[in-house]
Amino acid sequence: MVTTALDTRVRNHDGVAVVDLYGDIDRSAEAALTGAYAEAITSTQPILLNFADVGYINSTGIALIVGLLASARRDGSRIAACGLSEHYRQIFEITRLSDFMPLYADEPSAVDEQRPAER
Amino acid sequence: MSKSTPPVGEDRLLATFAVASEPGNERLARDRVAEIVSVFDLEPARLERLKTAVAEATMNAIEHGNGNRPELDVEISVALRAENLVLRITDQGQSEQIPAATAPDLDAKLAGLQSPRGWGLFLIRNMVDDLHVDHRAGHHCVQLTIALEGDSYGHDRA
Repeated sequence: MVTTALDTRVRNHDGVAVVDLYGDIDRSAEAALTGAYAEAITSTQPILLNFADVGYINSTGIALIVGLLASARRDGSRIAACGLSEHYRQIFEITRLSDFMPLYADEPSAVDEQRPAER
Repeated sequence: MSKSTPPVGEDRLLATFAVASEPGNERLARDRVAEIVSVFDLEPARLERLKTAVAEATMNAIEHGNGNRPELDVEISVALRAENLVLRITDQGQSEQIPAATAPDLDAKLAGLQSPRGWGLFLIRNMVDDLHVDHRAGHHCVQLTIALEGDSYGHDRA
């Protein structure tokens, strides 16, 4: 069975660590996700997970995202998300992930809200 | 989640197929079901819900029911009952009982008090209109019912 392994890229956008996600978020994504989080947490904060190029998230993927949220809580960071399809946005609401991870339609609106205040 | 299974005789069988119990094959099942039901022109959100439910139920059957043993099949049937699609996903599992679809405690998971996993049945229950779990000798059968038309997500939240 062909699956789409997750690839990630971490970049800075106005003081927000944007994690671009490409591929599927299932059990094969664990190393890529945790690696991206480790890179993002050492650069800028907060962290924005960009799901615009994610085609599939299953229950194991939900568990991985819960793990990231737990790590961020321990690390005193915060995570937001953007680019979810309407279907996965609904799933994030049903699972209550959206209670702990603000959801935005796109990256510009997320960065507007999440970037650190200017001094 | 109800436990009794309505009689098969009420259903009009549309298709049956099987996938080997290899990780990732839930996508084969998902895509095949989408192809089978394409004649009904389901509203896109409803189709996405069905696809997610089928993928999760098949993944459970592959991993927990059949222990990722590729020589064991997961059997899937798709039927029409009145204005509903009825899907049955059956594994060869003989040991583990399928647990009740209780709402995961996200607060406990985030606090590290529970495993982050355990979302499968909860997701399924929230994607379909009805979920039956049936345990028979040597098999687990998860029956999903989704109306051809209707609304919306979410019977409950985590």
